[in-house]
Amino acid sequence: MTETATPSPAQPPGTGDRASAGAGRDRYLDLLRALALLRVVLYHTFAWGWLTFLFPSMGVMFALAGALMARSLARPGSALGVLRGRIRRLLLPLWLYGLVVLGVLFAQEWRPARGEEAALWWLKLAFWVVPVGTPPFPMRIGEDGGMLDAGWAQQAAGPLWYLRAYFWFVLLSPLLLKAFRALPWTTLLAPLGLTAVVGTGLVEIPGATGEAVRDFAVYGACWVLGFAHHDGVLYRIPRYFAPSVGPVFMGLGLWWSARHPGPDGWDLGDIPLGQALWSFGYCVLLFQVSPAWQRLPERFRRFDGAITLANNRAVSVYLWHEIALIATVPLIDLLWRIPAVWRSPTLSGLLENSYPVLMFLLVWPLLAVLVAALGWAEDLAARRRPRLWPYGPYRREDEGAKDAGREDAGRAGESRTDGRPVGGGTGAGAVPGARGAVGEGSHRP
Amino acid sequence: MTLEGHRRSLLRRRRRRRLRRLLALALLLTAFTVLMLRGYVHSEFLADHRVRPGAPFDRVPEEVREGGPVVDAAGPRPVGHRVPDHMIVLTFDDGPDPEWTPKVLDKLAEHDARAVFFVTGAMAARHPGLVRRMVAEGHEIGLHTFNHPDLSYQSKPRVDWELAQNQLALAGAAGVRTYLFRPPYSSHAHALDNESWPVVRYAGSRGYITLLNDIDTKDWARPGVDEIVRRAVPEEAGAGAVVLMHDAGGDRSQTVAALDRLLPELKARGYAFTNLTEALRAPSAHTPVSGPELWKGRFFVFAVGVAERATSLFIAALTVVGLLVFARLGLMLLLARAHGRAARRRAALAPEPVTRPVSVVVPAYNEAECIAHTVRSLVAGDHRVEVVVVDDGSRDATADIVEGLRLPDVRVVRQANAGKPAALNNGIAHASHDIIVMVDGDTVFESSTIRELVQPFADPAVGAVAGNAKVGNRDTLIGAWQHIEYVMGFSLERRMYDVLRCMPTVPGAVGAFRREALERVGGVSDDTLAEDTDLTMAVHRDGWRVVYAENARAWTEAPETLRQLWSQRYRWSYGTMQAMWKHRRAVLERGPSGRFGRVGLLLISLFTVLMPLLAPLIDVFLLYGLLFGPGQRTVAVWLGVLAVQAACAAYAFRLDREPLAHLVSLPLQQILHRQLMYLVLLRSWATALTGGRLRWQKLRRTGAVDSAPAGIAKPRHMQGSTTV
Repeated sequence: MTETATPSPAQPPGTGDRASAGAGRDRYLDLLRALALLRVVLYHTFAWGWLTFLFPSMGVMFALAGALMARSLARPGSALGVLRGRIRRLLLPLWLYGLVVLGVLFAQEWRPARGEEAALWWLKLAFWVVPVGTPPFPMRIGEDGGMLDAGWAQQAAGPLWYLRAYFWFVLLSPLLLKAFRALPWTTLLAPLGLTAVVGTGLVEIPGATGEAVRDFAVYGACWVLGFAHHDGVLYRIPRYFAPSVGPVFMGLGLWWSARHPGPDGWDLGDIPLGQALWSFGYCVLLFQVSPAWQRLPERFRRFDGAITLANNRAVSVYLWHEIALIATVPLIDLLWRIPAVWRSPTLSGLLENSYPVLMFLLVWPLLAVLVAALGWAEDLAARRRPRLWPYGPYRREDEGAKDAGREDAGRAGESRTDGRPVGGGTGAGAVPGARGAVGEGSHRP
Repeated sequence: MTLEGHRRSLLRRRRRRRLRRLLALALLLTAFTVLMLRGYVHSEFLADHRVRPGAPFDRVPEEVREGGPVVDAAGPRPVGHRVPDHMIVLTFDDGPDPEWTPKVLDKLAEHDARAVFFVTGAMAARHPGLVRRMVAEGHEIGLHTFNHPDLSYQSKPRVDWELAQNQLALAGAAGVRTYLFRPPYSSHAHALDNESWPVVRYAGSRGYITLLNDIDTKDWARPGVDEIVRRAVPEEAGAGAVVLMHDAGGDRSQTVAALDRLLPELKARGYAFTNLTEALRAPSAHTPVSGPELWKGRFFVFAVGVAERATSLFIAALTVVGLLVFARLGLMLLLARAHGRAARRRAALAPEPVTRPVSVVVPAYNEAECIAHTVRSLVAGDHRVEVVVVDDGSRDATADIVEGLRLPDVRVVRQANAGKPAALNNGIAHASHDIIVMVDGDTVFESSTIRELVQPFADPAVGAVAGNAKVGNRDTLIGAWQHIEYVMGFSLERRMYDVLRCMPTVPGAVGAFRREALERVGGVSDDTLAEDTDLTMAVHRDGWRVVYAENARAWTEAPETLRQLWSQRYRWSYGTMQAMWKHRRAVLERGPSGRFGRVGLLLISLFTVLMPLLAPLIDVFLLYGLLFGPGQRTVAVWLGVLAVQAACAAYAFRLDREPLAHLVSLPLQQILHRQLMYLVLLRSWATALTGGRLRWQKLRRTGAVDSAPAGIAKPRHMQGSTTV
């Protein structure tokens, strides 16, 4: 596994400024992003609500994206240019996704609404192009028992809320960042307060607007926390502070969730305030741990390739995993054609019970095919040479081209050694090398 | 030692260590298992309170819906039998209940009636005696599942499990099994629907006769005695009936009173009260159980019995712990105030301040990181000192560094590695003054520390003075926890012990001794791992006073990793136990030694050895309460205790003039740090019980504390401003 620090010959404009200055990807953040994606797929396969507590993926994704956004905005150049680049990377994969999904829907004879709703329908259809709102999709299409489940469109539209929320966060980021720099603590905690108002039924905003506002509020604290991470705020406050208050937020989230369980019980997806508090506290801890790995430690090294792939294709994996899941069902259904299976009650019972497991096994090869076939949109959006399968240990060439989750490890490292007041401000943290230099001695040999 | 022998001794040591770990683990596990078992039979988990609403009934056979309440669904043609005329089969569900079942049984016996009891496994396991009595008095027992879920929601394996556990409890309690079954929430035969019928069907396939009812008295709703009696009488005079009543699940006084009227009234009308098989002239529902099945049942019921009793024991223990915790807190707070007053009085009464020079002994082993800071801080103080650094065979440049400082009044004594006690004794031998201050090589003094530390020696009765050790590296989480612990625990505790005249430890980090006292007790001993505690106890027993000088602050570097913290505390707690054992005879002695033995050793064993041993109970109960409820109340109680702790901590911080910011870590400290501390103690106990001696485990130093006025805290102290 060699990692040479050759700067990319074809660095896109505006992204190479740090790469040459010795900055690399923070593989810790890459690992988090890969974990988040894995958790999303697991959750959508097995529908285990407790997974949302084990690893609040969406909060983590927004926090990572927030950090990234702050980093981009810190670069020289206009904010408008940054926004344009960021949005381009989001939209191109979305358009490709929309093309495929709408194509199949129209082939299934889904037709525009008529009469009074027609104008609104066409307007909403534009949300497939610019995701400021939820685009229209049929709740049921086709017939039960067909190749595709009648509710597939609803499932396929599942990931879209994330893109909508992300889109809004990106658009508002320059403003949010200004607010954060002016009033850091207020801006950080305000979304939690907003969630307590709009996410608890205290104030009910109806319809799609309500959803958008709620999502913005729920994950706003995580996004701004990303800013805080980028600005090194977590390193400037005493080190005991963040790990002490993070669990308090998580505890509040647990308490709220226990009092207000969703329709499926312990599932943060249905408990906005619980989600906001738990995710925020969880991300505080994750950022606090933040070891700023230039390379993955030995025990994760074997996942190096997969983590690189997941980070290079994060949007694609996120968008297409639902399609892959939808596709697994008709494939598994093929097993019913084996006479031995439908004849034997044991085997058929077994098959019936093992659908989630089979789906989980099958979703990965399908997802691989989809990512290989359609992932190039991400390269295109990043103005990079399209690659079929960007797998493998992290190389510098990837740097500067890919942004879903790029993090400046050098910065984190700097503030760790210089910014942290250690030992009551005596600067002992500046000698990390001293740790372990002294052998474990014994007064009593 | 031969290689073979060496290997064997290694193996033995490893085995002993494993044994120790196992012992500690087994203790906690047992406590938790017992609680789990209790939760299990109290239906506090796996509980499923859903009841299915009505459903279509087109798949229930006509013969069954129109048939009687005794459903035999074993064969291909299920059928429902009726009870013959002039027969009433009373059935009691959900018991046995310790209060009401005996009363029901008494009434039945009084009127020579027999009935059928549908017991749940959970209740049967908890009250096996009542089940035995039912069988002995000729009543029949039926299964009512283990903990009363609506079986139509449950999978087949769960239904099997419910029935099997129910039989197990029955076998353990009364030594029989039964083929009678009644599903929870069941009713008349014609109320069977597409959801509930499969359960009856399935039970039938397993060989059970399902007994539904003809008449539901709904006595559980407590409609009044008259109403229950009215409902229980069959509408058609002389018709046989299966009557449903309850002997558990709340206040059943109306049921008992109704029985008292119902039995004679209906008997007068020619009814007989029999159990089911008597009414149907069928073979008894009971089959004796023998062999392994019987023993399995008996073991289960026995274990549940232990759990039932053990939990009351736990609760008693918890009360004791709670009282101890609060008594200790209260005592500490009260005496801390008294200490402040006494210290001021002492200062005012002192004839003249102690100004004569003192010797400072610094035992150092591999202290290259910190030793320069330490020594500089000592000579920079406002009291005249002579510093003796004893290099205990360091492998690093400790001694050279000190010599390189070229400070007057600082000497280095080198010795081959012989341990801290030997280094201290060596240093004492080289010291020339009659007051000896002992400092760890990783500790930094303020300029006034030594002056404050030696003032109490103006009183000739004082033999030793403990200083106020402070955590220098308090910026990390683990540092903040220890800071809280030092201020709230050690500092407050020392004030209390000072007033009670039984200070157990003059900390190695900062303490001063009168040479005469040291010589009389024979110097520092290496009998225990906590040589400072051992020495302090010896000084006490020699009749000296040991006091606490709270303004003699020394900044020490606390362990920065859990592993280091663990080994440090393990050494402390095991060393304290060793020292107490060594000085155990003090309890019986006369004079100051006896006083220390009876007051000091008692308090120390109570507060630092016994109480923390019971402390895990608090957390086991917290976990139990969270898992099985009442969750809200558990959390509320825990938060209440936390609030009390926080208030006390705030007071302690005020006394020590520390900023309150670190208290933000208190909640987490209470969930993580405290647990670590009692795990350490458990392990020390295990070590003490299995025997074995601990190696001195030295901390790795990072040199995080390099000057006393550690940025945040010192300047404020020096300005004398109040920081809270």
